[in-house]
Amino acid sequence: MAGAVRDETVEVWDSRLRLHVKIAGDGPPLLFCHPLSGLAWSPLLDRLAERHTVYAPEHPGTSPGDPQAIREVQTYWELLLSYEELVSKLGLERPVGLGQSFGGMVAADLAASFPPLFSSLVLLSPLGLWLDDAPIPLMEMVSGLPSDVPKYLYAHPDSEAARAAQAMPADPAQQAKAIAQATWNVGCTTKFAWPIADHGLGRRLHRVQVPTLIVWGREDALVPVGYAKEFGRRIAGSRVEVLDDCGHVVQADQPERSWTAISRFLAS
Amino acid sequence: MKVSLFEQVPYRYMPEGFENQHNSVVTAPYQVVEPARMTESLFSAYAELMAGARAGFDGICVTEHSQSSYDISPNPTLLASAVACAARAEQLDVAITVLGRSLGKTREPLKIAEEYALLDCVSGGRLIAGFPVGLSYDANLNASLPAVETRERYREHRELILKAWSEPRPFPWNGRFEKYGQVNIWPRPVQQPHPPIWIPGTGSPGTLRDILQQDYVFVYLSWDGPKLTGRQVFDRYWELADELGRDRNPYRLAFLQVVAVSETDERAEREYARHLEAHYRSGLGAIPHTAMAVPGYAEPAAIEGMLRSTGPAGMLSRMKTATYAEIVDSQVAIVGSPATVADQIEAFVREFRIGNLLVMLQNGSMPRDLTEKNISLFAGEVLPRLRPVWDAEGWENHWWPRAAAIEGAV
Repeated sequence: MAGAVRDETVEVWDSRLRLHVKIAGDGPPLLFCHPLSGLAWSPLLDRLAERHTVYAPEHPGTSPGDPQAIREVQTYWELLLSYEELVSKLGLERPVGLGQSFGGMVAADLAASFPPLFSSLVLLSPLGLWLDDAPIPLMEMVSGLPSDVPKYLYAHPDSEAARAAQAMPADPAQQAKAIAQATWNVGCTTKFAWPIADHGLGRRLHRVQVPTLIVWGREDALVPVGYAKEFGRRIAGSRVEVLDDCGHVVQADQPERSWTAISRFLAS
Repeated sequence: MKVSLFEQVPYRYMPEGFENQHNSVVTAPYQVVEPARMTESLFSAYAELMAGARAGFDGICVTEHSQSSYDISPNPTLLASAVACAARAEQLDVAITVLGRSLGKTREPLKIAEEYALLDCVSGGRLIAGFPVGLSYDANLNASLPAVETRERYREHRELILKAWSEPRPFPWNGRFEKYGQVNIWPRPVQQPHPPIWIPGTGSPGTLRDILQQDYVFVYLSWDGPKLTGRQVFDRYWELADELGRDRNPYRLAFLQVVAVSETDERAEREYARHLEAHYRSGLGAIPHTAMAVPGYAEPAAIEGMLRSTGPAGMLSRMKTATYAEIVDSQVAIVGSPATVADQIEAFVREFRIGNLLVMLQNGSMPRDLTEKNISLFAGEVLPRLRPVWDAEGWENHWWPRAAAIEGAV
């Protein structure tokens, strides 16, 4: 394990926004952009922190005690600019950009919008494109029963990692707080992904100029695996790894094989 | 007091057990509909509203829902406009309440400003303008607007509409959600600076405070059962009124009550029970609770508050299996002879200080003849008992249309 995770708060966006960042590890910098549900520190981040200094910002509004921060970011473009400012204010020299799902869309768009920002890019089943013959049931998942969410996210909803991600505190007061926070987190991220997470990223992806790895689960029930090819086609020189017996959250369904793909790419 | 006839526009032939397989909103399968029966269902709603206007109600009231089987009213100003013109042609003095176009849902707020203004003109200054935020399923699923922005849109749209109604000269609007180079709508409401504004809500403190600060009317609905949730919502409203220095004028409060009247209590149950049960189960009961609060629609503190609430739970969350007994015990619906109904309504109207009453007399599968009987009995035998309830206290209803004061009105 990479040791303690520390918190830092960085003022960006003309001081209107205080971004909370979790930081761990040592080594070259890596920016992690979290999925729709918010930032949850995970075994993947521990592993990354063994070789990198991992910087994991919390999407505006998702930091406990600061829900109204989401109001300060009015548009998706402002979100991208805020993250670009964050990288600069943290003093990161060409970090690795690694994003998952919603965060994958953000990381990919940062790479397309600001080509010199990252040294390389890792996208784990990112949102951001739309194919009419492969609709993404984002609205169905978000507005459906919480108990149905694992079906969209995991090929193995009963795995330890999947269960840990869905776990709730037993104490009723703590549970109410946790449900309220989890629900609000999704409200804050879907502000920029609703009803369809397509901000024209496909028309910008040709601008991505850094080595890129795209990892997908073949059984992804949220963003179907056909999108892997689409991202691969649009980012010149990128590498696509499709994992069998694997759903949307690749590191939960296939922790070892996804880690092998990511770690080999980062080491190369 | 003022009593209006409220009408939803349900498809009246929902198959039995629909709620066990389908939702009544967003994804409700249209294949259950027979076109001729849809035509009849829609036309009956128009006809019943006119029956109410002729029977002596002070007003009629309609509301807006899209992609819904229980209230097929994608634009209530269409319905209201037809009634307004017909009522005027017959020289019936009825208020037209649109409760209303949803300001948090619309992508074209100036259309609402224009439609309401037109309605106010053709009705001769009889419009009551409803300014609801919009239900989450409607704003965030049907209209697909980001839930977290719903209230921000609502506030901007309300401000824009009010300005469009009263600003004498064309003006540019550089809003966050709307941008217009020249706002200069035709027509403008004849009630200036604006028609009375009523706002329906579930009674959250933020909404109530806003309504009282702006000097509008709060409209509460009986879906949760006033016996269960009325006390907490109405007490909160009047306490807030005290705190904000508003008087306890009962006309600041409107309430929508479902009512079914027949000659006797027994007969009322026999005639209406199955329609009420089926209506709540296949209509409101078949709206998934998750669709009422898409993530981002409610603030985290509000969600936490709801989850930790120790107050009485309303009926809305239990509608899918609602029994007739639960519906009447909680007063979701008040059913019985004219005397029974009048006694119950008068009691809570006085207790909670309700000055504007809306009654819903058609539910789900209720056919037109039974509905018109309900309308006629209510208007003839219940309404006369309710009308003078507040006379002794001498309050003025500042939130009623000013048609009479408008030159040229019929």
